[in-house]
Amino acid sequence: MIKKIFAIFVAVVICLSATVCASAYTYQYINDDLSKLSYTEYNELEAIAERLESSYGLCIMFCISDGTSGLTDYEYAQQVYAENTDNENGVIILNNDSDKTYAVLLSGNAEELLDENEVENMRKAYDENNSYYEGIYACYSLAEDYLENGSYISSDDTLSEKIDEPGETDDVADEKDGVPFFWIPVSLAIGLLVGFLIINSIAAKNKSVRMQENATVYTRPGSMIITGNADNFLYSNVERKEKPKQENKN
Amino acid sequence: MSTILEQKCPNCGGAVEFDVGAQRLKCPYCDTEFNITDMPENVSEQADSINWNSQGAQWGEGEADGMNVYVCNSCAGEIVADATTGATTCPYCGNQVVMKGQFSGALRPDLVIPFKLDKKAAKEALKKHISTKKFVPKSFLADNRLEEVKGVYVPHWLFTCDAIGNANYKAKKIKRWSDADYEYTETSYFDIYRSGNIGFDNIPVDGSTKMPDDLMESVEPFDLSQAVDFNTAYLAGYLADKYDVSAEESMPRANERIRQSIIDSFRETVKGYDEVENQGANMNVANGIYKYALYPVWLLNTKWNGEDFTFAMNGQTGKFVGNIPTDKKAVTKASLLLGAGIGALIYGLLWLIELL
Repeated sequence: MIKKIFAIFVAVVICLSATVCASAYTYQYINDDLSKLSYTEYNELEAIAERLESSYGLCIMFCISDGTSGLTDYEYAQQVYAENTDNENGVIILNNDSDKTYAVLLSGNAEELLDENEVENMRKAYDENNSYYEGIYACYSLAEDYLENGSYISSDDTLSEKIDEPGETDDVADEKDGVPFFWIPVSLAIGLLVGFLIINSIAAKNKSVRMQENATVYTRPGSMIITGNADNFLYSNVERKEKPKQENKN
Repeated sequence: MSTILEQKCPNCGGAVEFDVGAQRLKCPYCDTEFNITDMPENVSEQADSINWNSQGAQWGEGEADGMNVYVCNSCAGEIVADATTGATTCPYCGNQVVMKGQFSGALRPDLVIPFKLDKKAAKEALKKHISTKKFVPKSFLADNRLEEVKGVYVPHWLFTCDAIGNANYKAKKIKRWSDADYEYTETSYFDIYRSGNIGFDNIPVDGSTKMPDDLMESVEPFDLSQAVDFNTAYLAGYLADKYDVSAEESMPRANERIRQSIIDSFRETVKGYDEVENQGANMNVANGIYKYALYPVWLLNTKWNGEDFTFAMNGQTGKFVGNIPTDKKAVTKASLLLGAGIGALIYGLLWLIELL
């Protein structure tokens, strides 16, 4: 029974791992180098940014940094943007927390979707809130209001393709939604491994003859007395591993 | 000197047997029942014939070593038995006989646990055992033939002692955290020491070389509280062997189990660590005593594809064990089918996640 439970547990863990791998196929909109956001806040804001990008084709990115590694704020913002997305149409708002400076960078057709005043209002909305989370949230809310007045374009479209026929837009969306074919053999391999473990653990129950490992069943009740115990700390070591960078969109 | 003891019915003179249902002796001919205590062990000693036949030239050198020849008191037929056989059935008249000399003097067991379950229960347990297993070859289910079912009193040495021991463990505590750029893992190492006493009562060790040790340990445990003082009357109707592994020879196995018990029991007191590994243990045994007992076991032999399969059932508790062959083709087929199903499920889940 224990083996069966273990096999099912392994199966569930592997399935969950596969699910996590698949769900990890996302992009980073918030670069919170100073860990100002909690895990929940970060995920919520990422979800909003992802929704805006899929709805309006505009990648709105935030970066809270502690310095710019010798670059200017604009250069640094440009670098962060390029590292995290392939979408040419976007906005990045950089908050250099050490110098208390801001940089706003627009690329692609962002200037045609949001004018300078609107972008400045977004930055102010971020700046006026004491909480980082509330600031970014307010900024995204404002951006959504502005974008609602504009026309829908998909994430892979450019502004010149705004008036595409509906059929063409759907095709692009279909291409984006599909699970890559290489997942078929991967899924099958995981399935076969799990299936092999489960079936063999069941088949192993056909063997019930084995030596006993110990004699604990013959222990006299209440006879165990611990007369000496010591837990001595020996040493400890700390391993540091760089976090994997988020994958780019394509 | 070995003698044959037959438990005879005082009423009709028939050979009586131990009845597991009534836990008394019963005559199968006139249905008269007797208490064990009503049947003096020496009741038929006066009728015993002592016949040690010379093995003479009929046997090659060493060929007859370890064999004894007895003469049945009922039909005068010769019973050739293993030197360790303590109770058996006359092959000519079916009389239940006990080789009394095998259980006299220093060879007399201290205790015996009488059979609580009969042959019918053993056969039904075998059916149930096989039917609940998966991937058993169909031909095994259809073609295996129950060759023999025998109730055997298996000699066991029972060891009781106070063990004083200590054990060392190496333990780890693992702490993980991360910042914006790095993931950190701190591993702290500890040396753990435990010492103490544990008492053990009646650890059984198989005293017969004829019985596979793993089979005998697999049908454990027996409830020794139901054991009674040895009386040959309990052997009527069953096979029995005297020990051919001495108590001294059995001690290493008992010590091995005690040692592992100390490691496992002390391990349970080591808490709050992520990983614990035993590094060694020492032990001393004090107040060690041992007893000699006969444990009831049903042995069932089947044959399939020219291979023998032995099953065993605890004659007291009914615990049934025995290895069953596995159909490798069926296992492979089931693994592939289940694997393909799980693979499709994973791929389907990926689609679902992508669509959501």
